[in-house]
Amino acid sequence: MKPLDPRLLRYAAASRSFLILAALLGLGQVTLVILFSWLLASILARAAAWVGILGEVPGTGSGALLAELAPALLGLGGVVLGRAALAWAVEFAAARAAVKAKSQLRRRATRALADSVAAGEASPRSRDSAHVVTVLGSGLDALDSYFSRYLPQLVLTILAIPLHLGVLASQDLTTAVIVALTLPLIPVFMALIGLSTQAAQQQQWRRLDRLSRTYLDIVEGLSTLKVFNRAHRQRGNLREISDQHRRSTMKVLRISFLSGFVLELAASLSVALVAVSVGIRLIDGQMDLAVGLFVLLIVPEAYAPLRQVGANYHAAAEGVAAAEDVFEILDDAAAHQGPPAGESPTPVAALRGVPMDLVISGLQVRRGETDVLQGVDLRARAGELTVITGPSGIGKTSLFEAIMGFLPSRGEILLQPHGSLGATSRLAGPQRRELIAWSGQRHGLRSGTVEENIAMDQPRNPDLTREVLDDIGLHVQLDHRLGVRGAGLSGGQAHRAAIARALFRVRSLDCPILLLDEPSAALDARTEEQLIHTLRGEAAAGRTVLVISHHQTMREAADHLVELSPAYVGAPR
Amino acid sequence: MTAGTAEQNPQRQARSLLAASRPSWRAMAPGLIFGILSGLSAVLLLGSSAYLITRAAEQPPILYLGLLVVAVRTFALSRGFFRYLERLSTHDAAFRALGEVRGDAFSRLEPLAPVKLGPRRRGDLLTRVIRDVDGLVDLPTRVIQPLTSSLTVVGLTLLAVLWFSPLFALALAGLLLLTLVLGTLVTETLTVGAERRTAQLRGDLADEVVDLVSELDVLIAYDAVDAQLQKVAELDARLRREALIGARGAGLLAAVFSAGTGAAVLAALLITGPTLQAAVPLGPDVALGFGEVDPAVLVTLALIPLAVFELAAAVPLAWSARRRVLTHARRIAEIAPEPAPPGPAQDQPLTLQPQLPADEQRPHAQMAPTSGSEVLADFSADAVPTLELRDVTVRWPESDAPVGAPLSARLLPGENLLITGPSGVGKTALALGLTGFLALEGRYRVAGEDVTGWSPEQLRREVCLIEQQAHIFDSSLRANLALAHPGGPEAAQDAELEQVLRAVGLWDWAQTRHGLQTPVGMFGDLISGGQAQRIAVARGLLSGARILILDEPTAHVDPETAAQMLEELLGATGPRRSVVLFSHTPVPDRLINASLQLHRA
Repeated sequence: MKPLDPRLLRYAAASRSFLILAALLGLGQVTLVILFSWLLASILARAAAWVGILGEVPGTGSGALLAELAPALLGLGGVVLGRAALAWAVEFAAARAAVKAKSQLRRRATRALADSVAAGEASPRSRDSAHVVTVLGSGLDALDSYFSRYLPQLVLTILAIPLHLGVLASQDLTTAVIVALTLPLIPVFMALIGLSTQAAQQQQWRRLDRLSRTYLDIVEGLSTLKVFNRAHRQRGNLREISDQHRRSTMKVLRISFLSGFVLELAASLSVALVAVSVGIRLIDGQMDLAVGLFVLLIVPEAYAPLRQVGANYHAAAEGVAAAEDVFEILDDAAAHQGPPAGESPTPVAALRGVPMDLVISGLQVRRGETDVLQGVDLRARAGELTVITGPSGIGKTSLFEAIMGFLPSRGEILLQPHGSLGATSRLAGPQRRELIAWSGQRHGLRSGTVEENIAMDQPRNPDLTREVLDDIGLHVQLDHRLGVRGAGLSGGQAHRAAIARALFRVRSLDCPILLLDEPSAALDARTEEQLIHTLRGEAAAGRTVLVISHHQTMREAADHLVELSPAYVGAPR
Repeated sequence: MTAGTAEQNPQRQARSLLAASRPSWRAMAPGLIFGILSGLSAVLLLGSSAYLITRAAEQPPILYLGLLVVAVRTFALSRGFFRYLERLSTHDAAFRALGEVRGDAFSRLEPLAPVKLGPRRRGDLLTRVIRDVDGLVDLPTRVIQPLTSSLTVVGLTLLAVLWFSPLFALALAGLLLLTLVLGTLVTETLTVGAERRTAQLRGDLADEVVDLVSELDVLIAYDAVDAQLQKVAELDARLRREALIGARGAGLLAAVFSAGTGAAVLAALLITGPTLQAAVPLGPDVALGFGEVDPAVLVTLALIPLAVFELAAAVPLAWSARRRVLTHARRIAEIAPEPAPPGPAQDQPLTLQPQLPADEQRPHAQMAPTSGSEVLADFSADAVPTLELRDVTVRWPESDAPVGAPLSARLLPGENLLITGPSGVGKTALALGLTGFLALEGRYRVAGEDVTGWSPEQLRREVCLIEQQAHIFDSSLRANLALAHPGGPEAAQDAELEQVLRAVGLWDWAQTRHGLQTPVGMFGDLISGGQAQRIAVARGLLSGARILILDEPTAHVDPETAAQMLEELLGATGPRRSVVLFSHTPVPDRLINASLQLHRA
């Protein structure tokens, strides 16, 4: 793990200003610590001198002592208040910065994701969406402790150690030398421990991982275990696993805690070394008590930031891991940032309502690293119902995704005004989409009412909404509220709603092209008949209707049947 | 205060769960002792160093300081050493307790499967059993340990201070108390308040992000992506405003402790300064009397607060950790009100009550057998039917109304029954009812015997459910099959496993891999969905059940593959075994002997 990823500074502006602020506040904190220690040491030394180190009691008025010390005591009080204020300010600044940075990263990442899918550079399913959701939702909250507990201490480590060392050197060179010698020992020892135990650690972590996965596996498979009357035996099994888990974890911890041990030991041993060396020099009368006490107070402070960085390392590592996931999304987007698609934004909307043929020639589609389709030629005419069939896995869905511009493709996908052979419209994916109503394999419903889900971004039109819902045989209230991912409708109902959404778009925007991916899968025979009737109606209105289906009834209803065969797939023929 | 009482119950349950998940004091004792020793070492290191330096300034013979020098070095070593031991023993005790808590949570979850473990609640429940249970480890390590050891060390230090200056001891105790109360209150009110204000917003934001990310292609296709991004940005901005308000409280705890430490140092100077007397020359009888302060003691007392407050700072943190642990415990307690008794867990008893009179009036026409009045003919009169259902209905646990209309059927050995119907009509409920996971009413006989009074386990030995998405364990093919063996996994012979694998058409595939040792991957990652389904059927065959219930075995494959698979699966079941097949897709007639269509009640 890098202590500070430069990408954080690049992508989250809040972190840049925070680093500057943290440095200023840290400087203030160090100054106040030195001032506090100096005032306290000198007050104590003067008090000791007042009563006389060797047993002479000059004067009896102890009130006089306080009176003499009053300015210093007042000063000390002021410094205490200042330290409290700065302690608050650092955390406040950190919390603010964390909130802002999270918000900045989230906005940029959601925008980058949307852009890369829209540009066809990232397949909608190339990324594990559950993971992205976690990262952009609660995952980023791990940055809170990164900002509040780690970054300020990191800044302080860089600032405080040289400052403290400088002050120590000005007061007592011996102590400065002791600290300067022991401080580097900490990272060296930690690195040595890390290196010598790394292999053993990794092996243990792998074992640990396997054990926790077994636990997860048993819990996930509970229903299946119960079917075979084996669930009640798992409690003993779980205890066994947990015990193994404990033993492995302890082996890891015995080593992991060593680094904490080294930190603590180095800090406390150096205090002891300094105390003893100062004590011996005081006996010889080579040193002032005030200086000795001051040095004793400063030494632990020199180690404090380093100890904090070590103690909060894990909290920080979580934050960094979460941030790295976001950076990955942003880096990908930055890498793909090509020239803007489509040199001239043709007023595509004007083409709506014009019957168009969909002409595909020599199409090659890539999904990830593999070619899923190769050399596909296809012509779907306006006014016809074209049905695409083919064995599963042949790339029918990929063909639709290429038409929609979600998958990178080579070859031609043309929209050609029906009847006028010459004039073709060469449109980029995003523009092509303007003329297409599409329903994919997944319903893609979201939270909101049924009506909002059908109309999407188009103006509401309750009559049309009811009409398309009737066409697909879905009887639900328009204001029926759905949860996230369309929760509240059964799988079949949601699929119908998605088809209805495509019908709504095709009619409300007068899109010339309608693409439906496996619309029959969730329909019973009667509704399928009804859907075919509807699709014939759309074709009769001059639209190009393209349907992927296995169903016999749908195939029989086709004006034009396209069979995608394995010849289109995989390596060059 | 109805809300109060409603909240009290889970709160109380969470507390009792916490008490159960806490390691025994005996197990925690080493950790606590090491923690106290480590804390004392920290205080003593500072105290003895300060004392050493001040005494040294009196320039006594170096001999007298020898003991102090040794003490300083010892405390320096022992602090880190005991801290290391403390962390190890505390974690060990916590992990020991964790095993018990995991078992307990599993027992709570067990009765819920599979009926209440539907896809919608499944994720949440699993999170509770896995993440919340892991969160309970914090109870001994981050709550009990720091609270006990720092409070003990602080108390002991106060007692020591009491000897030299009762007044300062009192002042120090008062300041500590004030700081702790203030600090804890500040963190509690501020963080709880901020969390309450932002919790809803966070949830909403997460939902909008889910809607954005998981269906980006749909949003783009319908030009709705900018609107959705706008929704996310607006919620984000609201969350940001709320969180910025909360940020003001973030540093208050640090400020309170910083001020408290400084105040205690000042108090030491102001209170003990005036009582200061000349140092007794360091010698054999150096001990000061009660309430006496010399310069070395003054310096020590003035520096002690620095160490004491550092230790005390653990208290508010432990307190907020306690709140988090309580939340985890409450979420686990909510899984099921009562922990299941240890030993074989009890299912909901299978109630096979006689038909209710009300149900008799229900027209049977809603169920439309396609061939013959009840079940296909061609059974000899004397053959005992494998399965006999008369006016059977099932009910979900929370609902009063039965799912679907009463159903009757009769199957001879080797006959297959197809049950079709639109989604949502209760096919899965019926499958669960037939295997004793849901209450079932009506007459239900297996091989001529009334199963009323059978335990669910007994019923499942005869009637085996092949789930729609059976879990594939991250292990070998052998382990995945053997768990279904009626005599336990150890009793499964290779020959039997080979036989069932051949029957479902997986044997040849397995031979090209590592045979029975073929790994299948986490959640069956290394095999296809069709292969997973075949493994599930092979389990059913191995279980020796008379009747297999197949719940939509082809729901996730395309129609051509589905037809082929059904043919293979139904062909694999052998001549004596009967199959009840639930499907929403058509099945070739020759594979089945009878079919029923379910309609909505």
